[in-house]
Amino acid sequence: MKAQEKVAWTELVVSVVAVVVVVALYPWLGGAAAGGFCLLGLLGITPLFMRNRGNEIVADERDQQIELRSSWFGFGTGWVLMMVSLAAVTIWHSNQQFDVSPALLNVMIWIQFAFCYAVKGATSLMQYRGSQRAT
Amino acid sequence: MPRKAESNLTNCVRDLRGSVDGMTQQVLADAVGVTRQTIVAMETGTYTPSLALAIRIARVFDRGVEDVFKLDE
Repeated sequence: MKAQEKVAWTELVVSVVAVVVVVALYPWLGGAAAGGFCLLGLLGITPLFMRNRGNEIVADERDQQIELRSSWFGFGTGWVLMMVSLAAVTIWHSNQQFDVSPALLNVMIWIQFAFCYAVKGATSLMQYRGSQRAT
Repeated sequence: MPRKAESNLTNCVRDLRGSVDGMTQQVLADAVGVTRQTIVAMETGTYTPSLALAIRIARVFDRGVEDVFKLDE
């Protein structure tokens, strides 16, 4: 498995696990379950996969293309999600007499962050699929 | 914006490799400075190489770029 694929798997797994943990803990912890998003900090280990090992080529021009395309999809998804959720909160709040909860905004931002990296990782893996056969 | 794959760009890298003894995908990959998976993707037509990579591959086989890569129009 290439280094860039390890990065993609890490992004996908960490993002999905973080969301699952928060959703699973919510019935017991309520808003404090958002602390489960701290798992997203594990994304910080991805540069370790890209370190140089002797003369082995870690990433080439195709990896850069895939990374670029995945980033477009990932960050694009995050951006659209943010716009839609902010619009939804604004519309919903305009009919209410109370303020929007900071906890709600906090969770919204974390979920967008998780979705961004989940989509980025999944898109990378889809592009790498089918290029492993040796002849 | 990332470069799009050219669906009408074909290549004969696999055939050229077959004509050279011991020229595996890994050997070719090392010779042109990319990973083996990139050679696989290029041979199967799922990846369009950059001009620089195309030139380096053609040089490995001592051919012109248009002898290795063909654009069907």
